[in-house]
Amino acid sequence: MSDWHVNASTAERYVDGTLAEPDCWSVERHVEGCAPCAGRVSRAVGAGPAGVLLGDVRASLLARVQGETLAPAQGRLPTRLWWAVGPALRGAWALALVVVAAGAVGLARGADFAGARSLLLALAPVIPVAGVAVSYGRHTDPLHEIAASTPRGGLRLLLMRTVAVLAVSLPVLAVAGLLLPGTSVTAPGPATWLLPGLALTLAALALGGYVGSRTAAALVGGGWLLAVALPCLGGSAPAQTLAERLGEQLSLYLDGQTAQTSWAAALVLCAAVVAVRRNVYDHWETM
Amino acid sequence: MTTMTRPTTGTGAVQVSGLTVRHRRTTALDGVDLDFGTGVHGLLGPNGAGKTSLIRVLATVARPTGGRVELFGGDLTAPRTLRDARRRLGYLPQDFGYYPGFTVREFVAYVAWLKEMPADTTPAAVERAVARVGLADRIDAKIRTLSGGMVRRVGIAQAVVNAPQLLLLDEPTAGLDPEQRVEFRSLLRELGEEATVIVSTHLVEDVAAACTDVTLIERGRVAYRGTPQSLAALGRDGDESDGNTTERGYTAALRAHRTHLTGGGQA
Repeated sequence: MSDWHVNASTAERYVDGTLAEPDCWSVERHVEGCAPCAGRVSRAVGAGPAGVLLGDVRASLLARVQGETLAPAQGRLPTRLWWAVGPALRGAWALALVVVAAGAVGLARGADFAGARSLLLALAPVIPVAGVAVSYGRHTDPLHEIAASTPRGGLRLLLMRTVAVLAVSLPVLAVAGLLLPGTSVTAPGPATWLLPGLALTLAALALGGYVGSRTAAALVGGGWLLAVALPCLGGSAPAQTLAERLGEQLSLYLDGQTAQTSWAAALVLCAAVVAVRRNVYDHWETM
Repeated sequence: MTTMTRPTTGTGAVQVSGLTVRHRRTTALDGVDLDFGTGVHGLLGPNGAGKTSLIRVLATVARPTGGRVELFGGDLTAPRTLRDARRRLGYLPQDFGYYPGFTVREFVAYVAWLKEMPADTTPAAVERAVARVGLADRIDAKIRTLSGGMVRRVGIAQAVVNAPQLLLLDEPTAGLDPEQRVEFRSLLRELGEEATVIVSTHLVEDVAAACTDVTLIERGRVAYRGTPQSLAALGRDGDESDGNTTERGYTAALRAHRTHLTGGGQA
C-alpha cells in the first residue's frame, strides 16, 4: 500500500463529482484496502445529497423486511395444495370411486340391471366419507406423526383433504348418475344423494372430533348402509325384487322436500359442531 | 472426545412437572419433573422406559394423562400457545413414513409448509437443511430409492428445516453407520449451541460424545440426571474389565435406581 491517502478535500470532490475521472479510480482502488480512507469517503458520501437517498433506501428496506417477518405465513397455493391433498386422492379409495361409478353405469347399460340407480344412490354418500377416513389420521397417513406436531397438521389439513375428496368424488358420481338410463323401478332422482353425501361427510368430521376419524367414518358410513339395507332384507311384500325394495327405501330417505330439508339441516348442524369444536382437531392425538 | 460442560439454565424452553402418561393399564411416565434449556440433552434408558412417551408429549402429539407441560414458557392448553410452539419445534419420530412419490426436496418442503414457514424463504431453507445432513447431491432423488440411513437423515432434515428452538429427536442414530453417526453428533453439538435439543437414544456413546447432560429414565421415572462426565464417574468405581466408563456408569445408575424402587432389595 502506498503512502497516498484520500484527504478530506479529495473525498468532498469525489462526492460532488468534481474530481477528475482517473483520480476517482485511484480513490476507489485505494478505499478497497484502506479502512480509514474508506470511512472518510463513506462519511463524506453520507453528508452529501446521496446520504439522504441512502437513508431513504435503508428505511424502506428495513420497513419491508420487518413487514415480511410480521406478515402471516402464506403458502403459494397450487403446488402446495397438491402436496396437502395428494395422499387423499390415491390408492384404494380412488379405485373404489371408479368401481362404483363405472360399475353402476356398466350394470345399467350393459346388463340392463334395473336396480343400478338405487345401488349407486345407496353407495354414493359413503364414498366421500370413506375418502376422508383413508386420507387423514394416524392409521392411514404415513406422515401423520410428523404432521401432528405442526400447526397446519390438524383441522386445516383435514379440511383441505375433505375438500379434495369432495371435489373429485362429487362430479364423478354425479356424472355417473346422469349417465344412468331411466328405470321402471321406483328410485329417487340421480342428484338426490348430493346433500346426504355432504351431510354424512361432515357428520364423520364432527364425530371424528370425539372418537377419531377412522372410527367416525366407520360409524357414519356403516350406519347409512345399515339404515338402507336392513329394511330391504326384511321386506313385507315377498313379490318385490330386492332392487324395488332398495329403491323404495331410498325414496323414503332421499325424495321430497322434507327429506332434503332434513339433510340440509343435518349438514348445517354438523358444520356448526366442527366449527365450535375446531380446537379439538389441532390438539393432541384426538384423530 | 469433546464434551461440553455448559450447565442447563433454569428457565429453559421445556418445563415439565408431575407429568404422567398412561396407555390403558401401563404407566409410561409416572410423575416426571424436568426442565431443559439450550444445549443437547440425552435421554437414556432401557426399551420401554418412557423415552418415546416423553418425546411425543413434548412434540405436542401425545396427550399427557396428568401434570403440566410448558413449552417456551406457555401452557399448551391455549390454542394460540400451542400453535406458536408448533411453529418453533422440530420433531423426528422413531418411525416415520413418507409418500412414495416424494423426492427429498418435496418431502422437506411439505413439512416446511405444515410448519407455516413463509413461502419465499422455504426453498432456501429446504436446501440448507438437506445440505446439513449431507444429502445435497440426492435432493431430487425419490425417497424410496434411498438407503435406510439416508431416509433417517431426511428425517433429521425435515426436523431442522424451520431452525427450531426446540428439537426433539427419537432414536436419531438408529440405522446410521459409524461414520454418519460421528458426523451426526457434530451436527447435534452445532444445533445445541442455539437451541434446546432433546435426543433419545439407547447408545451410551452418543450421549458421551454429544450431550451437555444426561437424563436416565427407567420405568417411567427419572433415575439419574447429570453430566456425561458424572455418569462416567459412577462407572469408574466398579469393575474395570470391560466396556467404557460411561456405559458402566449407566449400568450402575440403573442398578441404584432399581434398588431404590424395590426398597433396597435385589435389582
